[in-house]
Amino acid sequence: MSRDMTETVPQKEKLVHRTLTGLNPAIESLLAAAVGLIIGAILMLVWGYNPWKAYAALLQGAYGDAYGWASSAARGVPLILTALTFSICVRAGMTNIGAEGQVYMGAVAAVAVGYFTLPAGLHLIVGLIFAMIAGAIWSLGPAILRLTRGVNEVISTIMFNWIARFLTFYMVAFVLVDPMRGEKTISIPVSARFPVLIRGTDLSWSIFAAVAFAIVIYFVLWHTVTGYEVRAAGLNPSAARYGGIKSKRTMLMAFVLGGLGAGLAGATIVMGNPPTYAIISGMPQLLNAGFDGMAVAMVGRNHPIGILIAALFFGGLTAGGRTMQFTAGVPLEMVRVVEGVIVLTMAIPELIRVFRVMRSSWDRLMSVLRRRSA
Amino acid sequence: MTDKDRTNKNGSSRDYYLRAEGITKVYSNGTVALKEADLEIHSGEIIGLLGENGAGKTTFTKILSGLLPPTKGRVISPHGPVRFKSPREALSFGIGMVYQHFALVGTFNAAENVALSHERPFSPIQLTATKKKLEQLMEESGLRVPLDVPVEKLAVGEQQRVEILKVLSRDVDLLILDEPTSVLTPLEVDELFALLRKLKGAGKSIILITHKLKEVGSVTDRVVVLRHGEMVGDVPTAQASTEQLAQLMVGKALDEAGSAVELQDKGLPTAKRERANVRTEHPVLEVSGLTVKGNTGEVAVENLSFEVYGGEIFGVAGVEGNGQSELVEALTGLRSAEKGKASINGKNILGLDPREIYMMGVAHIPEDRWRLGLVLPFTLAENAILGVQRWDEFRGPMSFLRWGKVNQHVRELMKRFEIRAAGPNAPAKSLSGGNQQKLIVGRELAKDPHIVVASQPTRGLDIGAAQYIRDLLVEMRNKGRAILLVSADLDEVLALSDRIAIMYEGEFMTIASPKDLDRETIGMLMGGVAVKEGAV
Repeated sequence: MSRDMTETVPQKEKLVHRTLTGLNPAIESLLAAAVGLIIGAILMLVWGYNPWKAYAALLQGAYGDAYGWASSAARGVPLILTALTFSICVRAGMTNIGAEGQVYMGAVAAVAVGYFTLPAGLHLIVGLIFAMIAGAIWSLGPAILRLTRGVNEVISTIMFNWIARFLTFYMVAFVLVDPMRGEKTISIPVSARFPVLIRGTDLSWSIFAAVAFAIVIYFVLWHTVTGYEVRAAGLNPSAARYGGIKSKRTMLMAFVLGGLGAGLAGATIVMGNPPTYAIISGMPQLLNAGFDGMAVAMVGRNHPIGILIAALFFGGLTAGGRTMQFTAGVPLEMVRVVEGVIVLTMAIPELIRVFRVMRSSWDRLMSVLRRRSA
Repeated sequence: MTDKDRTNKNGSSRDYYLRAEGITKVYSNGTVALKEADLEIHSGEIIGLLGENGAGKTTFTKILSGLLPPTKGRVISPHGPVRFKSPREALSFGIGMVYQHFALVGTFNAAENVALSHERPFSPIQLTATKKKLEQLMEESGLRVPLDVPVEKLAVGEQQRVEILKVLSRDVDLLILDEPTSVLTPLEVDELFALLRKLKGAGKSIILITHKLKEVGSVTDRVVVLRHGEMVGDVPTAQASTEQLAQLMVGKALDEAGSAVELQDKGLPTAKRERANVRTEHPVLEVSGLTVKGNTGEVAVENLSFEVYGGEIFGVAGVEGNGQSELVEALTGLRSAEKGKASINGKNILGLDPREIYMMGVAHIPEDRWRLGLVLPFTLAENAILGVQRWDEFRGPMSFLRWGKVNQHVRELMKRFEIRAAGPNAPAKSLSGGNQQKLIVGRELAKDPHIVVASQPTRGLDIGAAQYIRDLLVEMRNKGRAILLVSADLDEVLALSDRIAIMYEGEFMTIASPKDLDRETIGMLMGGVAVKEGAV
């Protein structure tokens, strides 16, 4: 004990701790990404793959050429929107896990526009509005439970995700089903599709919808009084109340804005993602769009600009992962491992604190044991 | 090992308990908080650490108590250098600190909080033993707190007593108190000082951080003065005059003879006591039969009636926890009233939300600036519009925030209210306590309100900032505005108020002019003596 108190404190450990907690957010995110890739490489080595080859392939596939960039961006589009859903609610002081379910509902609503005809362009816009409203309505459930009954939004949004999931299964199988091909819903008519932006890729004009939404959210949060109130209530609810801010209003606002984003994400997946333009049974395109958005929000530090960059990175991992799979033979799942490690690494500053507590407990335990044995 | 340290420490071979040598602290943002500070602490002495807000007092003691590492310099004991990695290590060495802002678990009661501070991982909780020890400690020290009530339901003053008990229960050798008297009543202060003398008699060292010159004189053996991070004075209390200390602390010669009196008088605005009679004919605030419940559902404010006129400062004095906070919260829309009426200029305010009340011309300087007054991670500019964010000046069409106007507003506030900060975009948490409070006061007074509800407006501030804020309140009064001043600092209430109410258990014991009250009477009323006599 006395040894610890004197000058012999290991200086290095303190340095590591301080650099990790005092870093600016952007560097922290970059560091987390690097650690994720390094641990992914170690795992590849353990399983007998060549990480250099794998990452070279991943990089090539993700950002090696225009096609790669386009694929990465295309995969990032829904992530931008679901990440915004999560981060708006974080800014308002809540943890909204509900983007996943809201994406499903948005996609279902978007497919429903296939039942009527409208001029091209207008049809697309009506579809987007449908989807956004559906997402917002689905977010209202947890919002109302929270505001009137105080139900924790983490639990209610998870439950609503499951309800949305099975409701969508049902809709795909029995309501929106394509009479010709039972494994998918009817296709969205050409008049309601996002045009492809770069020929030969799956990047469509939906990216502009996502970026526009990010910009709108940025302006709402940092350049409107409403956004100011949302952020104030998120950081210090007592002071917000003192400042005449109604936190119920700001919470509802955050839920609804988030729901609009997640619904829009559902729409971009089914209306802007060639070649399907429909929900396939089992909805492989939709699954995890909401959950992955939470990882993007974390790495993007809950800021719209950061989220745009992080979404391009996560999109790149998915897009490049396919190249990695067939060039280096590394299974696509390795990309998920890397993503998981990145999310864990983001929590490291907190973890180091926990480790220090554990270490000092351990020291104390050992000193007791030593005294006993002496 | 710790026990061995302790026994050695009381040996005769050394003549000091702890010595700080050349302590320098530079924060990561480049602020130099301390420059080459030296201090020798002996056993059995009380050191007064004097200095303005931002002088480095708290930084210095945080380094001593293991909360912050020094950038340069070292702390040595007679057995060699010591370096604490955490306050817990400092505590087991024998150094304990009571902070101005408390570290209590709100939902735990006092006994649980103390037990928690003794806790080691995986060891059983000693709740009964802790309670017993606390009761004994309370008996010895005279610091009383209810042990079975969650501390979040206690008043700030009571919470502080829990903090002091928490540290005392660890049998510390060096007790550091950061502005301990700012929330205590005169009687409690005397009790605290008696306790400190008792501890000193038992060979303990005490560092008392304060800015109250009177306290320094009454309890300390030695005064150390810090200014802008430098130790500018280290003198035996007996040899130091109040004026001398005040000058060391402020660092500038005081202009007139009157100013020295001012400082002696705890920096109260003597000059402004001769004030024009600008009292309005009709009251601005009228309260009748107001009853408000506290957090635990107890009646905190009972059947209270009073008026505050324009051009007067109506002071509410009393031991904290006698309903003052609930009264203020009810009048500012933060707490609903059970019964009664309250109106501003004849218009009812009960049942309205805070914004509606602000719109009627009420400014509110809250008692807890960290919890209520500021959003700490927000910038200065963002905090400067809290509560007025929806004014047309700042809110354009489509709810757009007029940043240009906001920044202009905050620059004006910084200039007008002497807020020292890096700029409009500096986070509020980077400001010193005095500047944070100036920001709140400035923001509220800039509303040009009919009535200012000021709750503990100068708590924990240095002489300069406190006096400045008091001057501002008097200035508002002289402009014909009504001021409802609630403060635990009796001298402040006495010096500023045109009329004083003494609050005890939710009721006013009396409403009188400060001239008609002597301190003894006030002390008795604050202790509820008249009520008891009446009841018997």
